[in-house]
Amino acid sequence: MNIVVCVKQVPDTAHLKFDANNQLMREGVENIMNPFDEYAVETAIRLKEAHEGSKVTVISMGPAQAKEVLKRAIAMGCDDAFLLSDDAFNGADSWASANTLKHAIQKLVPDFDLVLTGQFATDDMSGITGPALAEFLGVPSVTFCKRVDVADPKTVQAHREVEQGVEVFQMALPGVLCMMKCDYEPRIPSIKGVMKANRTEIPTHDAAAIGLPTDQAGANGSTTVTLKTWRRPKKEGGKKIDGADPQVAVNELIGFLRERKVI
Amino acid sequence: MNMNDYKGIWVIAELNRNGELYDVSLEALEAAKTLNPSAPAEITAVLLSGTGMDTTNAEAMLSHAGADQVLSLKHDLLGQYQVELFTKAVADLIEERKPSIVLMGATSTSRDFMPRVAARTRAGIAPDCTHLEINADGHLEATRPMFGENMLASVISPNHRPQMATIRGKAYAKTALDTSRAVNSQTLTPALSPEMARTKLLETMKSETKTGKKLEEAEIVVSGGRGLKGPENFGMVESLAEAMGAAVGASRAVVDAGWRPHAEQVGQTGKTVSPQIYFAIGISGAIQHQVGMSSSKMIIAINKDGDAPIFEIADFGIVGDVFQIVPLLTKTLKEQNLVVTV
Repeated sequence: MNIVVCVKQVPDTAHLKFDANNQLMREGVENIMNPFDEYAVETAIRLKEAHEGSKVTVISMGPAQAKEVLKRAIAMGCDDAFLLSDDAFNGADSWASANTLKHAIQKLVPDFDLVLTGQFATDDMSGITGPALAEFLGVPSVTFCKRVDVADPKTVQAHREVEQGVEVFQMALPGVLCMMKCDYEPRIPSIKGVMKANRTEIPTHDAAAIGLPTDQAGANGSTTVTLKTWRRPKKEGGKKIDGADPQVAVNELIGFLRERKVI
Repeated sequence: MNMNDYKGIWVIAELNRNGELYDVSLEALEAAKTLNPSAPAEITAVLLSGTGMDTTNAEAMLSHAGADQVLSLKHDLLGQYQVELFTKAVADLIEERKPSIVLMGATSTSRDFMPRVAARTRAGIAPDCTHLEINADGHLEATRPMFGENMLASVISPNHRPQMATIRGKAYAKTALDTSRAVNSQTLTPALSPEMARTKLLETMKSETKTGKKLEEAEIVVSGGRGLKGPENFGMVESLAEAMGAAVGASRAVVDAGWRPHAEQVGQTGKTVSPQIYFAIGISGAIQHQVGMSSSKMIIAINKDGDAPIFEIADFGIVGDVFQIVPLLTKTLKEQNLVVTV
């Protein structure tokens, strides 16, 4: 199988820092591979291991430092990596990002069988890029996937986690799958893998190299504008009972629920 | 594209297998009604269903809930959700009738096909929104959480139409029903053919929950974590949930340990819930967990570690032994016939 994985470098949302104006600080924050993309990479490598002759190409759009997540993907077991980087990509929303990835995939891996993405990126949490990419590529898609099996060379079966349970979808290839947390965990790169990643040349392509007109790139190619972002007011802790007799604590809780008129 | 050609607000309503409307569809309708109340735009509800499905009740309810008209798309191929067929049916109707705003409740269905509709119709889309308004320039301004619920963003689509948004469950109340409102529904047949569908549903494995409540829709959620010490002790969480008609949730730690299914996981790599009341039982409340529940209206925490971060956001916290307190709470609720209603 010829597999493409799209990955994004995101700030570690567990350790965000805010300045005095409650704006997100971009510096001094650790950047990581989007956790959902790690599952996409792991899934791709498992498919490659199960199907001889497969190849996994990983693509990321971002600044030069995003090469770090591409190196991690190579270290985990992907074969090739490309960075898409251009000032013209700045300000891209999910719509423009999906369109950029579409141009890159058509240029760099035109004969792909399967594209894997994370369901969400933990920074913008939009969940739009994957399905929109499928639409631009003109191929089918399944979102919220937690497991992928290959039925035959031209078909996959994807387990999709929804409100009611799990749906098993059959999808004709080529197609796009958007990965949630899976039944398995992403592997930690081996030392050998890290050494290979350090030796691997990661080419950078700009808008022109992937045939993307600049009026379709970045903010120009976006269908939405973010007016402002602000820190969500942090919820304040309320009453706390410590060291009370269990029945007293329970009675206090029931009293609190009565006060709030929910009992 | 002439933006002035695009008028009115659409709400795409979603039906379950029995032809009943999802709560989040009525919440999206409520969101539509709050937009521009001084000069109300026409509200159109759009329903997609199989030819054999009786949608009379759903159409009446949408009308009573405030839809000025209902467009009921019926086709043999729409009986079961399929991404490319739903995309085609909705995108074609948008291109033909040109709505200014298209809303839908944020569900695994809308988050599957609405991005494709937005891609196809060159529309802007704001996902999982918690608030909508029309700004001074007449654009839909959507508020949505990002960066793991730490940040909010306001998003507009100034140069594209329609303006699309999916609405997070529980962000709006279910709209009140006025049974005196007339039902104005129209049945349409979209142009679909079987070869357009390149995915096929083979099987649905229903998740069995003891209380029968779905996490995303529940008004009360009782979640358990590592403090329960073992899967065998989750029974006390389920009993408390049962006593209150609540859904059961779990922290990542206990899902990773295999105690509970991933479908119950609340947090960054699980589900985001915002119920009226969230009980965190034996959950320390790492930021990755808070991402999935900090927008709950009321948070109750019970944990033996008084320094656990969950207490920083809990409206009411008990530092103590969950093995004593939780069964006692359940017993007290039952013995005193106390009903928790939200």
